[in-house]
Amino acid sequence: MTLYRILYCSRSELADSPAAGAEEIRQILAKSRANNARDDITGGLFFSNQCFAQVLEGPAEKVEETFERIQCDMRHRDVTVLEAGPIATRDFPAWSMAFTGSTDASAFGQAVLSAAFSGQTQAGDKLLDILRSVVVREDEWLANEAA
Amino acid sequence: MGAGMLDEMRVEPPGDAPRPMPSDDAHLADHLQAALNGVPAAIFTFDQSLNLIFANDRVTTLLGAAPEQLAECSTVFDLLAACKGLDYVTAQRVGGAVLAATASNEPRHPPIALSPGDAKTAFNLQISKSGSDHWMVLFEDVTARRAAESEAIPQTLRDPLTGLPNRKHLNDRIADVVATVIGRTQVWMILVDLDRFKTVNDTLGHPIGDAVLKIVGRRLTSAMRDSDEVARLGGDEFALLIRGRPEPEAVATVARRLIDVLGRPYLIEGHLIHIGASLGIASSQDISEHDHLFKNADLALYAAKKAGRNTFSFFDPAMEARAHKRRAMEIDLRKAIALRQFELHYQPQIDLDLNTITGFEALVRWRHPEHGLVPPNDFIPLAEEIGLIVAIGEWVLREACRDAVHWPESISVAVNVSPCQFENAAALVTSIEKALKASGLPGNRLEVEITESVLLRKESAVLSALHAMRALGVRIAMDDFGTGYSSLSQLSSFPFDKIKIDRSFVTSKGDCKDQNAIVRAITALGISLGMATIAEGVETSEELARIRANGCTSVQGYHFSRPLPIEQVDGLIAGFAARHPIATPQAA
Ligand SMILES: Cc1cc2nc3c(=O)[nH]c(=O)nc-3n(C[C@H](O)[C@H](O)[C@H](O)COP(=O)(O)O)c2cc1C
Repeated sequence: MTLYRILYCSRSELADSPAAGAEEIRQILAKSRANNARDDITGGLFFSNQCFAQVLEGPAEKVEETFERIQCDMRHRDVTVLEAGPIATRDFPAWSMAFTGSTDASAFGQAVLSAAFSGQTQAGDKLLDILRSVVVREDEWLANEAA
Repeated sequence: MGAGMLDEMRVEPPGDAPRPMPSDDAHLADHLQAALNGVPAAIFTFDQSLNLIFANDRVTTLLGAAPEQLAECSTVFDLLAACKGLDYVTAQRVGGAVLAATASNEPRHPPIALSPGDAKTAFNLQISKSGSDHWMVLFEDVTARRAAESEAIPQTLRDPLTGLPNRKHLNDRIADVVATVIGRTQVWMILVDLDRFKTVNDTLGHPIGDAVLKIVGRRLTSAMRDSDEVARLGGDEFALLIRGRPEPEAVATVARRLIDVLGRPYLIEGHLIHIGASLGIASSQDISEHDHLFKNADLALYAAKKAGRNTFSFFDPAMEARAHKRRAMEIDLRKAIALRQFELHYQPQIDLDLNTITGFEALVRWRHPEHGLVPPNDFIPLAEEIGLIVAIGEWVLREACRDAVHWPESISVAVNVSPCQFENAAALVTSIEKALKASGLPGNRLEVEITESVLLRKESAVLSALHAMRALGVRIAMDDFGTGYSSLSQLSSFPFDKIKIDRSFVTSKGDCKDQNAIVRAITALGISLGMATIAEGVETSEELARIRANGCTSVQGYHFSRPLPIEQVDGLIAGFAARHPIATPQAA
């Protein structure tokens, strides 16, 4: 079985209101985790300034299936693949979908995402670094947004 | 909410009629309630002031209103707000329709948009009167029926690859719809044609191409509502039928969404594939016969592709006129080949240092019996589109070689070759070989001008054809240099003999600082790559001085001569030195 990884970013079409947006992200994460656990997929999702970046890793066939489902999702658009190919080991073995979000407009994440959309080659590596270093502040972030 | 509400629905019999036994009454109420709960639709009733009277269990199971919340609802609006299964916009629209119905005292069947998060459920909505001042709203879940309807399409009306309905089925549907709705309501057709799909098939093979088509079918289906039809017409063409009567702006929104979704990357067996889609849109309002819907959508699709692909166009009656003109031109063009209505005009290429004519570029003209001389831009694109360019191109090669063989040996002839002629690259080489042989022109006096789009396809057949031409002694020039998008990498993919600097860098605009820098850079590039450079479109002495000051010593343009008919070429060659005295040599 070949392990495969894909890294992409996209623009969010989620509700502008932070509370509603956070609720929608909660739904995406719940669905993702259930599906990914079933499909032996792991990875990380990053959300900042109405942009997503996501890494998916797992059996090649399952990654393709999942990626295609995500492609059909109208909750985001302008999907740009930064990297896709076989890998030796997983970066997120323990996470069916790790998550980190940021609303800080000046955040590092924004710089990375804008670089990613403009096609700078190191953007993929930087994003992976961020995603790898995710200390999951998810609950904290979602709570803040909802407040 | 429970039996209490239903109590109010009992119809009081007239005073003097025998009252039914109370036990029967209660029994009837239970019975009615059970019956209403059994109806596969969410139903609620209310009075003229929008006070809620009754809601059946399906309001909970279908629309997601929690029973305890439902018990608290006193108006229709409370109820809609409690329906978690309806998104905000849909709930608002239903509320609006209820208000409109009660205000106008007319039943309604508004088409309702589905919640975007849940495109898989399809509802039918009815707002009707139930009694003199009572109203009823009925949400029928038609998801299963729609699915069954689409299941029911027989295999013969389906495309075997994608499982989608085929062209025949769509035609039947359009005929049905158009027969019943002309003048009253509207259907929209969107024709979808994939861009760059052929490349996928050519480079990755048909199995991958087929996998792409299957996914395209799925993406289209998931991006549309269940009430819309999605069909595959064959090849990489799909068609969508949108019913109801959305405004053009709403259809445009759908079109943008489709272009987005189809343009997203495809990951198939480890290949990351990028294709795009062009869309043509037509409405049944513009037609009287059903097959015109296809025809109009097709014209709109043609316009979208012309407009640069990855875009959509709405049909517009002017397109018909243009298509008509195009067809007439096509017929004329086919005749022109048979009747030899083409002629070549020659524009000299001048070496500034030697002050001599080093060659002529052959430019094809069409002498149309009614329209006179037609410039290439007005017919070459059409000739390329319909494949006539190959025959025209062969004629140009033969004729140019035949003319050039009579010129002094130091003068060569340059011929433009269209990217389409490279589609059969081996045949192109053969026709060059024949043209040289038949005329007796040595290969080194023929120059072939190609644009970089020839190389964009990165086909080995193209490169080997270029090398084969080289082997005949023919020189290869890169035309329109600087106007494409990956020029530098193209330059390294083949050892060109010459670079033609595009006229856009030559024609003086403003202070010309940028243009000068570009001319200087291209000239330097040519020197270091061992390629000659020539500037095209030099029209004034000021432009000539500029080009020269930036290091380019070979030029072509109106400043020296417009393209001339063959009869005038000999005279030009003879008189050239006399009309242009030797220029003072540039300071080293
Ligand atoms: C940014 C983004 C990331 C997503 N990530 C995943 C994911 O990792 N796994 C997954 O199964 N679905 C993911 N989804 C949801 C899918 O698009 C789709 O809704 C879901 O897979 C459908 O699952 P179902 O067919 O089981 O209902 C994501 C959606 C978005 C917008």
